[in-house]
Amino acid sequence: MAAGRVDSEGRKSNRSESQNEMEQEDYEEEEPDFSDPEDFVDDISDEDLLPDIFKNKPNETDGIDSVVIVDNVPQVGPERLEKLRNVITKIFSKFGKIKSDFYPVDEKNVTKGYCFVEFSSPLHAQEAVKIADGYKLDKQHTFAVNLFSDFEKYEKVPDEIEPPEPKPYQDPGNLMYWLQNKECQDMFSVIYEGGEKTCIYLNTTEPSVVEERARWTETYVRWSPNGTYLATLHLKGIALWGGVKFSQIMRFSHPGVQLIDFSPCERYLITFSPVQEPRDESESIIIWDIRTGLKKRGFFCENQSTWPIFKWNADGKYFARMGPDAISVYETPSFGLLEKKSIKIQGVRDFTWSPTDNMIAYWTSEHEHTPARVVLIEIPSRKELCVRNLFNVADCKMHWQKAGDYLCVKVDRYFKAKKTDETDQIKYSGIHYNFELFRVREKLIPVDKVETKDQVMAFAWEPTGSRFAFIHQDSPKINVTVYKMKPDGKVELLKTLEKRVANHLFWSPTGQFLVLAGLRSMNGVLEFIDTTDMTIMNQTEHFMATDVEWDPTGRYVISAVSWWGHKVDNAFWIWSFQGNLLHKQPMDRFCQLLWRPRPPTLLSEKKIKEIKKNLKKYSGLFDVEDSQKKKTASKELLEKRQQLLDEFEEYRKQKVEEYNKTRDIRIEMRDGVDTDELDSHEENFEEETIEFLVKVEEIVVEE
Amino acid sequence: MKPILLQGHERSITQVRYNREGDLIFSCAKDNTPNIWYSINGERLGSFNGHNGAVWCMDVNWDSTKVLTGSADNTCKLWDCETGKNLVTIDTRTGVRTCSFSFSGRVLALSTDKTMGLPCEIQFYDVLDPQQLRASKPFLSIPIEGSKVTTALWGPFEEYMITGHENGEMCQYDTKTGELVLSIKEHNKQINDIQGSKDLTMIVSASKDTTAKLFDTSTLDHLKTYKTERPVNSAAISPIKDHVVLGGGQEAMEVTTTSTRIGKFDARFFSLVFEEEFARVKGHFGPINTVVFHPDGRSYASGGEDGFIRVHNFDQSYFEHNFEL
Repeated sequence: MAAGRVDSEGRKSNRSESQNEMEQEDYEEEEPDFSDPEDFVDDISDEDLLPDIFKNKPNETDGIDSVVIVDNVPQVGPERLEKLRNVITKIFSKFGKIKSDFYPVDEKNVTKGYCFVEFSSPLHAQEAVKIADGYKLDKQHTFAVNLFSDFEKYEKVPDEIEPPEPKPYQDPGNLMYWLQNKECQDMFSVIYEGGEKTCIYLNTTEPSVVEERARWTETYVRWSPNGTYLATLHLKGIALWGGVKFSQIMRFSHPGVQLIDFSPCERYLITFSPVQEPRDESESIIIWDIRTGLKKRGFFCENQSTWPIFKWNADGKYFARMGPDAISVYETPSFGLLEKKSIKIQGVRDFTWSPTDNMIAYWTSEHEHTPARVVLIEIPSRKELCVRNLFNVADCKMHWQKAGDYLCVKVDRYFKAKKTDETDQIKYSGIHYNFELFRVREKLIPVDKVETKDQVMAFAWEPTGSRFAFIHQDSPKINVTVYKMKPDGKVELLKTLEKRVANHLFWSPTGQFLVLAGLRSMNGVLEFIDTTDMTIMNQTEHFMATDVEWDPTGRYVISAVSWWGHKVDNAFWIWSFQGNLLHKQPMDRFCQLLWRPRPPTLLSEKKIKEIKKNLKKYSGLFDVEDSQKKKTASKELLEKRQQLLDEFEEYRKQKVEEYNKTRDIRIEMRDGVDTDELDSHEENFEEETIEFLVKVEEIVVEE
Repeated sequence: MKPILLQGHERSITQVRYNREGDLIFSCAKDNTPNIWYSINGERLGSFNGHNGAVWCMDVNWDSTKVLTGSADNTCKLWDCETGKNLVTIDTRTGVRTCSFSFSGRVLALSTDKTMGLPCEIQFYDVLDPQQLRASKPFLSIPIEGSKVTTALWGPFEEYMITGHENGEMCQYDTKTGELVLSIKEHNKQINDIQGSKDLTMIVSASKDTTAKLFDTSTLDHLKTYKTERPVNSAAISPIKDHVVLGGGQEAMEVTTTSTRIGKFDARFFSLVFEEEFARVKGHFGPINTVVFHPDGRSYASGGEDGFIRVHNFDQSYFEHNFEL
């Protein structure tokens, strides 16, 4: 009853203030008497009486998150207060519904130069802080907007600073130990059992387990570019592992992380999480320092475009992202915008760093009467090194050769463009393709052109060398063509392989060898090609293969059927670079296989040439080693077999003895007939004549 | 050599057996008529007409005089082998999943399905007592409380019966008292088939868990494992060489959605001792449901979900093949 009384009182007072006319009418109606008798003692607390309503009883601190404090508001007297209120309300009502405001005044009734605004939700208040902070009302007044709760937070900061304890240095051991493997065997990570288990293998004759852990990662794993770290993804963030025992080296907390990217120098790590806590919107992308584990900078991600959003240059000094009509280049270790401003580029569509030099290639689409352009610029000078104007461009794809010697821009061109009415998208017809080939190392960067009418399905440069290959479809025929860049502006067609079953091509990391693969829908057809003379070394198949991975040294190829792509026969097969099947490893719900990358070689070019020249000398040694190993392997197998056979024969001897002892019982059970051997009672045999159909002949008899 | 195709069944083959001499092949299928064939040329000798449901199992006694068939029509029928005449029909309350003659042929055993609220049972009848058979009153009945029996095999001296169960268990039951003597669980999915070596001292089990395993018959000690990547429906031990043959493939219900290549419907030959696969025989375009060696070990027969029975005679190279030691 108490609650009801409060309510009716409240209503009365409310009305007496504002609506005098209504009051009269109200009182004309006669109300029943709800008041308590005089001796009534209210012994039931409100909480007991109305638990469902009191659950929502407001708390003093409840609304505090919805309040913002606005500083640098003009100081005005009471006569202009109403006007000020109107202005402030107009500015702040953009962010949400204003529940109340308050303008403190001094003894002369002049406002103190700040005010409080309460929104209906903390979200609106945050929005107001984010946008209205720094709002210029006029020349003298720039708003400083803060959350009311922030004041409290900063007030509580103790006056004396307690310096954080420096973390004792933990020696992670030799992170590069795996490169000291005598036989230069490589490692690879395998996720299987549908993601339950992760295993690191060493590629010995039969892959041997280095480390296996259950639930090592919650989604997938990544190696760092030089293979030093293994990154595992978890709900709460990223963990990096390395060293001899794969111990944890660093952790980065980023809830809901989905995508990661290492800088090429392995110093920084970029993480992306689509989970956004309302107050930390800027943190959907975070850049970390790997060695200290500290957060270097957070970025707000407006719309998730293709990953990586930030692209690193070759040595990790710069990283860049594309915005509308601009490319923003940031530098490390300051993580600030290079020269404090982005590079303005009208209509920029895509950009890439050169894999070796401080050079960015980007392309802009056609705009009214200006043609599409492919531009190479130098960073940090922003000097344009090369500009190529292109007409009738539908799309461009840029492919750098790994050594940074060449850049190929695949240009999709059209004969006609038509705007479709309903979607406002442009429809192109008569699409044809050409490759613009930039010779980056040559003076003035000359550009060559190769054209094709067919649809290009895949393109790849030889990582070290001057060849490139692409798959093109003149439906239903699929052909593969390999070209070679020659000096003096010549591009030589090496060969077109016609009617292939392929949708992917994989160059060996050391060049020369090429694997054509018809993955997934093409049943896993594999073709191993030597591009020096374009011989097909082997044509084979790993049925339903979903992935192909070269090892970092170019000696082995792994084909795999991942559970992520295909539900049965999950396995990985190891092939030599010539296409000889070396090993098959079926694994329950095998998901992902990644080779551990190697850092770039420390050998000088001269040294490499020398080794190549004396290859015969070395190969002899290796052959001896290999045959030795093969011998021991087959010896081991034979020994194992012999042992199994001995054990089994021992067991059988005993059993046969027992069996022979019980012969009489068996004869007795079968009415005196010995049936132990098939021909043990020949007297019972019967001669039978049977016919075999030898030939069927049909003779037409004349009628 | 070109295999002999036994064409006559209209639906998937459930079991194929040779008689002791190996001149006859007995086959049953999900159609209602089991058949007898000459193993030498694949000519059909005759059929057993009378069942009204899928025939799950069949057996012939050692002197090839009587044939036993068990069917989903809740009967187990005893036939005269020579005339094809139905001698007795044993009525059961549920479908008959397994049936077999004992070593002497004097006792027959059958096991029933666990359906319609009725438990799975192993029943034993005296073949020489017509009254027992006619009245469908077994002299011993073992109710199986746990997982149902999917395959069964007589021990060497009729003292016990080895059963394979739906949950992968393998048990030994005393055929005099009905007591459970031994129970092991080496498989984690249904056991589809158990067959013995020629001298019955070893048995091989085939399981849906994609493996076949070799056991000692009397102790059920696990000896060997033969691994594949598809459910194994049947496995048999060669009577003359240390080989086992495995038949299976992608499950029948999934076959329509997959190609033959992915199904892996090959008969696969393993070394009994080394557990290594050394040969495959292609041919069926559905999973193999049953494989069996000819008693002379020179040929084998397989029956598939595709309704065909294929009899393969081994080439000379098979007999010459030896593992390097």
